[in-house]
Amino acid sequence: MEDKSIFSDKEIKFLKELVKHKVRFMIVGLSAAALQGAPVVTQDIDLWFKDLSDTEIKKSLKKVNATLVPSVGLNPPMFAGKHVELFDIVLNMHGLDKFEEEVKNTIKIPLDNVYVRVLKLERIIKSKQALGREKDKIVLPVLKDALLTIEKERK
Amino acid sequence: MHISKSKLEDLMHSRGFSLKELLRQAQVSKTAYYHLLYKDTVLPKSIHSLSNVLNVRPSAFLEEMTPEEKKIRQIAKRTDQIMTENPGLDRENVRHTLILLQEEPVTRLRRGLIRGR
Repeated sequence: MEDKSIFSDKEIKFLKELVKHKVRFMIVGLSAAALQGAPVVTQDIDLWFKDLSDTEIKKSLKKVNATLVPSVGLNPPMFAGKHVELFDIVLNMHGLDKFEEEVKNTIKIPLDNVYVRVLKLERIIKSKQALGREKDKIVLPVLKDALLTIEKERK
Repeated sequence: MHISKSKLEDLMHSRGFSLKELLRQAQVSKTAYYHLLYKDTVLPKSIHSLSNVLNVRPSAFLEEMTPEEKKIRQIAKRTDQIMTENPGLDRENVRHTLILLQEEPVTRLRRGLIRGR
């Protein structure tokens, strides 16, 4: 049986609030790859925002009793709150174009009756290739095999 | 064991199929259908031989495939097809992707997160 203790209704509620408040964001990284069917493991859900100073983000956070913690030292800004712990903030994607361009490379995926923008797998691969960290190199073959399999199934 | 025409027709009508549409979707030719319909038994002779020796009905040792088994068999078959066309791929990656594609996106993500944590 599916374990719903992780990424529960509470986390989904935050995404729903973001959509409801018309915040411009997309899910990126391995969680985006997983949503599309890639057999990868991840610890968090990366959210790329067009504009982190958008006041609607704070309103959405307030709805789930969470807040935005600005960048501390070398650490990126973070969300604080029990229901937003899974989410990481992404400010830019290595090897990719700006948000406005990349939004054209997204697909809308339903998550419990709300459609969320998710960066296409081919763009995630491009970003991982640009990053070139050891952990990216390890996962790249899986992402590439998954992409080809998904494309075959689409035909 | 033979096909019950009346039972099949009842099922067909309850699901809104015409015979033509049923045969089309099942990829069964009209000739094959009528051939099966008028056969005394649709089971191979060897099954009857086994059941006669054991003195039981064939159904005593026949088992229907579960939906899960059917699903896995289909995935295995599709994995083989993709691997034949793309021998450079990793079989496990292909198989796991095909399994995940049958799940809802939210379930796929949950699986990735559970394993990751």
